[in-house]
Amino acid sequence: MRGKFKIKARTSRHLEALMFVAPWVLGFLLFMAFPLVFSLYMSLHKVTVLPTGLKYDFQGLKYYQEILFGSSAFYDNLIPFFQEIVIMVPVIIVFSLFIAIMLNQNFPGRILFRVVFFLPIIFTSGYVLTEFVNQGEGTLGFLERFSIGEYLLDFLGDSSWTKPVMDVLNRFVLVLWYSGVQILIFLAGRQTISKSSYESARIDGASPWEVFWKITLPAMSPFILLNLIYTVVDMFTFPYNPIIELINTGNYGYNSALAWIYFVVIACFLCLIMLLFLRMNRSRRYR
Amino acid sequence: MIGKINTIKSKTSSLKKRVARDGLHTIRYVILGREVNRGLLFKLFIYWILIVTSYIYLNPILKMLVKMVMNEKDLNDPTVTWVPHEVYLGHLKTAWQALHYVESLLVSVGISTVVAIFHVIACGLMGYALARMQFPFKKLLTVLLVVTFIIPPQVIVLPMIIMYTKLGLQGHLFSLVLPSLFGFGIKGALFVIIFRQFYTTQPKELEEAGKIDGASSFKFYWKVMFPLAKPAILVVSLFSFVWTWNDTYYPRMFLGQSPLVPLSTQMSRVDASITSMLGNEETALVLVEAIKMSASFLALLPPLLIFFFAQRYFVESVERTGLVE
Repeated sequence: MRGKFKIKARTSRHLEALMFVAPWVLGFLLFMAFPLVFSLYMSLHKVTVLPTGLKYDFQGLKYYQEILFGSSAFYDNLIPFFQEIVIMVPVIIVFSLFIAIMLNQNFPGRILFRVVFFLPIIFTSGYVLTEFVNQGEGTLGFLERFSIGEYLLDFLGDSSWTKPVMDVLNRFVLVLWYSGVQILIFLAGRQTISKSSYESARIDGASPWEVFWKITLPAMSPFILLNLIYTVVDMFTFPYNPIIELINTGNYGYNSALAWIYFVVIACFLCLIMLLFLRMNRSRRYR
Repeated sequence: MIGKINTIKSKTSSLKKRVARDGLHTIRYVILGREVNRGLLFKLFIYWILIVTSYIYLNPILKMLVKMVMNEKDLNDPTVTWVPHEVYLGHLKTAWQALHYVESLLVSVGISTVVAIFHVIACGLMGYALARMQFPFKKLLTVLLVVTFIIPPQVIVLPMIIMYTKLGLQGHLFSLVLPSLFGFGIKGALFVIIFRQFYTTQPKELEEAGKIDGASSFKFYWKVMFPLAKPAILVVSLFSFVWTWNDTYYPRMFLGQSPLVPLSTQMSRVDASITSMLGNEETALVLVEAIKMSASFLALLPPLLIFFFAQRYFVESVERTGLVE
C-alpha cells in the first residue's frame, strides 16, 4: 500500500516537472533537433528549387569533399580567423578580469565607471559597432603615433601571423568592446568570494600580489572557464565573421555542409579549451 | 653615573629614531597604503586606467553625437573636431525619413518586448526545472542545453527558412518571435542557464514550505519562486531586449525584402542604399558619414535610454543572480 503510494507520488512529481520542461523540449525539437537533422540531410543532397517545391538528389559526401579538398577558400577564411581568435580571446579575458577587479575596488565614482563599462553590452551585438570600425574608430591613436605597427612588422617578418596580429591591433577598440558581458560575469564572480578569506590572508601577512594569485585567481577559475566558452561561442557565432559570410541562402546543400563543418570545428575548439583548462586546474590543485 | 646618562642618551636617541620612522611610515601609508590597494598611489592608478579605458569606450559614442549635429561646413573643416559652430539637425531629419523611423521603431519595440517577455517566461520555467526538480533524462536535457548554446545559428537557419516557408510564416514578423516562445531564439540557452543559476542559489526550505501548504508546483512557482527571481528577470529581459533589438541576422534571413523590418535591419538597408547612391565623391562621403551617424544614434537611442534608467538595478541584479556558482 505504502509502496504504491510512493510510486504514485513520484510519478505525479515527474508529471509536474514535465509541465515545466515541456515547452523547452517542444522548442528543442522544433527549432534545434529538426533543423539540425534536416540540414545534415540537405548537406548530403543536391537541393534544387522547383516551382512545386524542393527536390533532393542524394549525392553522399560530395559537398564535404568539395569544401575540404576542392578549393582553399574555406581554409583561406578559416585560418586567419582562427589566428585572430587565438589572439583576441586571451586579450579579452585578461582585460575584462583586470577591469572587473578594478571596478570591484571601493572608490568614489565607481558607479559611474560601471555604467560606462556596461555600455558595450548595448553596442557589441549591433550593427553600429561594425559601422564604427568601418570608419576607422577601431584603432587606438597611440599605435600610429608610436608606429608600433612597423615594429611589429619587423618583428613578425613574413610569418602567417603578421596579418592577423595587425588586424587585431587595428581593431583593438573592438576587442575592448567585446568584453562587456565578460566584465559583468567576472564582477558577479568576484562577489562570490567571501570577505573572510581575504581577511585571514591579511592577518597571515600575505601581500596583495600573493592574495591575487592564491585567492582571487583560483576562486575565479570557474568564471574564467565560463568566459572562455562564452567568448569563443560569441566570436564564432558573430554574424560578421568571414566564414558566416560564406554561408548565405544560395545553394542549400553546399551551405548546409559548410555550416556543419564549421560547427564541428567550433565543437572541437571548445573541447580543446575545456580539456586544457581542466588539466591546468588539476595540476595546480595537486601541486 | 656616566653609564646611566649614556643609556638614557641612547634611549632618547632611539626614541627619536622611532618617532622619525613612524612619521615616515604614516607618510608611506598615506601614499602607498597599509596594503597596496589602500594607498593614494593605487587610487590614482585605478583612476588613470579607468579613465583611459572609459575614454576609449566613450570616444566613438561622443564622435557619433558630435558628427551628427555638424553642418556641411563644419564636417569639411579639419579644425573642427569636437565643438561644432552650430547645432544642425538636418542629418537627423534625413536619417529619420530614410529609416521610416516611426514604423521601424514600433516594429523593433514590439518584437523586442514580446521576445523579452517570452524569454523570461519560457527560460524561467526550464531553468527552474533544471535547478530544482527531479525528473527522468534531466542530465540529458542539461547536455542538450549546452549543445544548444554552442550551435551557431547558421547551421539551423536554412532548414528554419524552409520550415517557415511551409508554414507560410516566412517574411512575417511573427517568425522572429516564435522561437522565443519556447525559450529559443537569440541566446535562449544562455538565459536558461542564468535562471538555473539563480534558482539553485535559493534556499531549499521554500519548496518544503510550499509542499506542506499543499500548493502544486506550478502555482508555487508563479506565486513564490518567480517573484523572487527579480534580479534574474531583470538581467534576462534586458539582455534579451537589447540583443533582439540589435540583431540583423535573423531578420535578414527570415524577413527578406519585406517592407516592415526592425530598426537595425532598416539601418543596414539604408547604409547600402546611401552608399550606392552617392558614389565616392569626397564631400558626399562626409555627408554620408554624418547621416549614418544620425541613423546609428536614432537606432541606439531606445536601448540606451532603457539602459540608463535600468542600470542601477541592473548592476545590483547581476551581483545577486550569482551568474554561476
